[in-house]
Amino acid sequence: MAKTYDYLFKLLLIGDSGVGKTCVLFRFSEDAFNTSFISTIGIDFKIRTIELDGKKIKLQIWDTAGQERFRTITTAYYRGAMGIMLVYDITNEKSFENIKNWIRNIEENASADVEKMLLGNKCELSEKRQVSRERGEALAIEYGIKFMETSAKASINVEEAFYTLARDIKAKTEKKLKEASNPPKGGHQLKPAEPQRKPTNWLSRCSLL
Amino acid sequence: MARSGRRPTIFNLSLQPQFEHLLSELETNEVSGVSVVIRAIYDGDEHQKFMECLNARIKSHDKDIERMCNFHYQGFIDSIRELLQVRTQAQKLNGEVVHLDEELQKSATRVISKGEELVQARRVESNIASAIDSLTICLPVLSTYAKLQRQMVDKRYYPALKTLEQLEHLYLPRVANYQFAQQMRDSIPKLRENIKDASMSDLKDFLENIRKFSPKIGEVAMRHTAEQMGGDPGIIGGKKKRSAPPPPNPFTGKVEIDEEDDDEEEDLCAQDLIDFSPVYRCLHIFSVLGSRDTFETYYRQQRKQQARLVLQPPTNMHESLEGYRTYIHGIVGFLVTEDHLLNTGNGLVSRSYLDELWGMALSKIVNALRTHSAYCTDATLMLKIKNLIMLFLTTLQNYGYPVNQLLELLTEIRDHYNEVLMQRWVQVFREMLDEECFLPLEVETQEEYDSVLSSFPFHDEALEVAPFPKVLPFSSMVPKVYQQVKEFIYACLKFSEDLHLSQGEVDDMIRKSTNLLLTRTFSGCLTSIFRKPSLALLQVVQIIIDTGYLENATVFLEEFVSNMTGSNRSDGHLTLRSQGQSAMFRVARDDAEHQICDKLRGKVSEFLELENYDWLLVEPKGHASSFVTDLIAFLQSTFLSFTNLPDEVAQQACCAACEHIANSIMGLMLSDDVKQISMGALQQINLDTIQCEQFAASEPVPGSEEGVLLRYFADLRQLLDLFMTWDWPTYFHDYGQENSKYQLVNPTTAINLLEKLREADKRTMFSVLKKSERDKKKLLETVLKQLRQLAQTQQQQQSQPQLAPSTQLPQQQQQLQAPVQ
Repeated sequence: MAKTYDYLFKLLLIGDSGVGKTCVLFRFSEDAFNTSFISTIGIDFKIRTIELDGKKIKLQIWDTAGQERFRTITTAYYRGAMGIMLVYDITNEKSFENIKNWIRNIEENASADVEKMLLGNKCELSEKRQVSRERGEALAIEYGIKFMETSAKASINVEEAFYTLARDIKAKTEKKLKEASNPPKGGHQLKPAEPQRKPTNWLSRCSLL
Repeated sequence: MARSGRRPTIFNLSLQPQFEHLLSELETNEVSGVSVVIRAIYDGDEHQKFMECLNARIKSHDKDIERMCNFHYQGFIDSIRELLQVRTQAQKLNGEVVHLDEELQKSATRVISKGEELVQARRVESNIASAIDSLTICLPVLSTYAKLQRQMVDKRYYPALKTLEQLEHLYLPRVANYQFAQQMRDSIPKLRENIKDASMSDLKDFLENIRKFSPKIGEVAMRHTAEQMGGDPGIIGGKKKRSAPPPPNPFTGKVEIDEEDDDEEEDLCAQDLIDFSPVYRCLHIFSVLGSRDTFETYYRQQRKQQARLVLQPPTNMHESLEGYRTYIHGIVGFLVTEDHLLNTGNGLVSRSYLDELWGMALSKIVNALRTHSAYCTDATLMLKIKNLIMLFLTTLQNYGYPVNQLLELLTEIRDHYNEVLMQRWVQVFREMLDEECFLPLEVETQEEYDSVLSSFPFHDEALEVAPFPKVLPFSSMVPKVYQQVKEFIYACLKFSEDLHLSQGEVDDMIRKSTNLLLTRTFSGCLTSIFRKPSLALLQVVQIIIDTGYLENATVFLEEFVSNMTGSNRSDGHLTLRSQGQSAMFRVARDDAEHQICDKLRGKVSEFLELENYDWLLVEPKGHASSFVTDLIAFLQSTFLSFTNLPDEVAQQACCAACEHIANSIMGLMLSDDVKQISMGALQQINLDTIQCEQFAASEPVPGSEEGVLLRYFADLRQLLDLFMTWDWPTYFHDYGQENSKYQLVNPTTAINLLEKLREADKRTMFSVLKKSERDKKKLLETVLKQLRQLAQTQQQQQSQPQLAPSTQLPQQQQQLQAPVQ
């Protein structure tokens, strides 16, 4: 059977409630925009397959609830994420300030080598802008991550942002694979949650025959 | 004689006496006596003697005469002398007389001329007098005629007609012999005709005017009614019914008219706006002229035509209240006018004519209003229209028109109004649901909490004492919807106000519409919300929870309706209704549950899309594939949030998820796209399945029956077990038996998988060298062969169900068992 994809990248969208994470994702996955605000409950995801350098890449993008009360559920998904989009709203100073807290959250919960990117969303609302582009860039430089201003509504930079993040992850992954091809693959091998069932052992024995 | 007598004495002294006698006889007697005397003489012989006597006598007489003459002679002379004297005197006198006469003649000439003049003057005078007399007779005629002309000019036709009458019968006969009178007489019919025409043209003006003024009249009449009604505390109070229903029609007319009179004192009465005199005049004139029937016919015909015009609603009437108002005012004006003429028009407008007209009008009005109101989609406008119609109806009722049909129409319009309300509430619900984020409502302060509880009947002891912020179990949609339903009920009621419906009717109507609102409108809106791709699973969950709360609140809605309508329904009725309402949320909830299952399945499918099996895997990774772990984690967190859901819903959703996972994994293996599967890959699938089974066994949602979820994995499990343990003897042995370990494994499925395994094995060329491998391969072929037989038998069995396959099996098992060990 032909492979449906070459890589699967798990991405995570985080940021304050109302900055437009769901809209960014909706724009990216469905190329549509929904004005009505439905706040995300807990966690949800969308999948989109993209092609980079002839490789099919499936992006499984997790959309988290910005609201504090869902924090416990959402942080559980940090671990598996390979890329994280930090989203703030350029018309909302507070959401920008909170990026620091989100970064701290990532540091606490996500794997250390996760790719991060900063997005200043709602850039079409220039007349309501509270956070200048320069400050966004400065913050990104401070954390050594990439930065883009996006608009889910006007469809600005959304594609680009995800492609950029995906490309970075791909580069990192391929580099790792190269390293791994010399010495035998030694990554995480056994999960603590490995199923312990009798038939398995019995069976694996069988297959070793 | 005396003298004669003496004479004989003198002369006849000698004569005989006899002669004497004869002579005297002769002298005295007449001629006749002469003969006698002669006879006497001739009889005697003495005629001589007589002759002598006679002579003697003659001589005596002559002597007498002589003597007498002598005696008188002097006197005669004197007389002559005197006469002569007289003659001169006479001549003198005569001259005098002539002179006098002349003088007289002279003076009399003037007198005579004067006299003649006088006579002339007298004649003139008498002529003048007679002329004056004639003129006095003619003058009234002329003045009357002049008056007539003036009245004609002034358009006072009725007086003119009277004058004409007078002229014709009183004055003209008196002056019949004048020519002008004749002319006048001749012109009278023409004048009559003129008057007729003129009054007719006046009437036409009037008709034109009234057409123009009708709306105004109608407006005023309706305003009066409104004021009257406004004065009635029953109307203002709204909820209370009028103290007494309006009295029956014939009586109403009188009563209302009295009230009307009161009004007239305050304000000009509606019909006073119009000067009806042309009609009266015209009517009088025509009655006087004896063509009253013609007039009546003409008038009624004209009015009927006007009625037709008035009853033609403006084409764009439905667009605004103004259109309705104009239309209704026109009609009211028309009818008020007719009613007024009925009362005052002296039979010009008869009851039967009016009834007929009204009958025709009513059906047209009802039709027009029905048609146009059906276009209306604005509830506020409809309410206004309803009020207008109500006012219209009351006004007409006051004027004594029967309006039952209009009341019926109002009921129809009410149904439409309810429809429109539904439409509006579709919008309301849609907007509300669009803005709704379907999150449990969180309140920060006591005020917020109180405001929520005041808008929605909810009580929870634990929540009461919980610290702020409190989280209510339902989303903000619940109090909003509850509030909206209440408002809908208010809006419904608004139409029923003043309709004079019984409480029961109102109650039924409201319950019916509320039911419809919730079953159709609200459920419809919810359904369309479910269709939104952006709606997350947990939001659907919240909706289900919300509908549950709404369902429980229907009892309070019932109470609310009862309070509003003031009806006291039995408890039995209430419960019946709430069951009905529970049923009406059922639709939405069923849908929501389906949605949950669908969405869950959708999510599961998305995860499975990430499946990335290496079908030729030599050795399993030792742990479940990552997409399965993710899936399970996702499901676990999802089901956590199901705790508020009714258990059965959560269970159903969970079952749907498990079933879908099991089927999908099975589908993956058996898919035609997968041509070969290595044992390692199969083991990996087994690992993944185990992971899922663990999840299924972990009672992810409370209350599900032990093993229910695992059952969905049963056929997958049996198939995997069969392949993992290579336990073909047991399979064949127990095949078709109830308690078979692999009862669910279909031979065809097994063949499918086995062939894929064989394909995978072919790749490892070197394995053929080993004996064990060869044995294995041989065994595989045998199993395949047997399975095919089995599949074939099964097919036959399906066509001939009675044939038992187990008869041929034992011997095969014997063959099989050896290689396995």
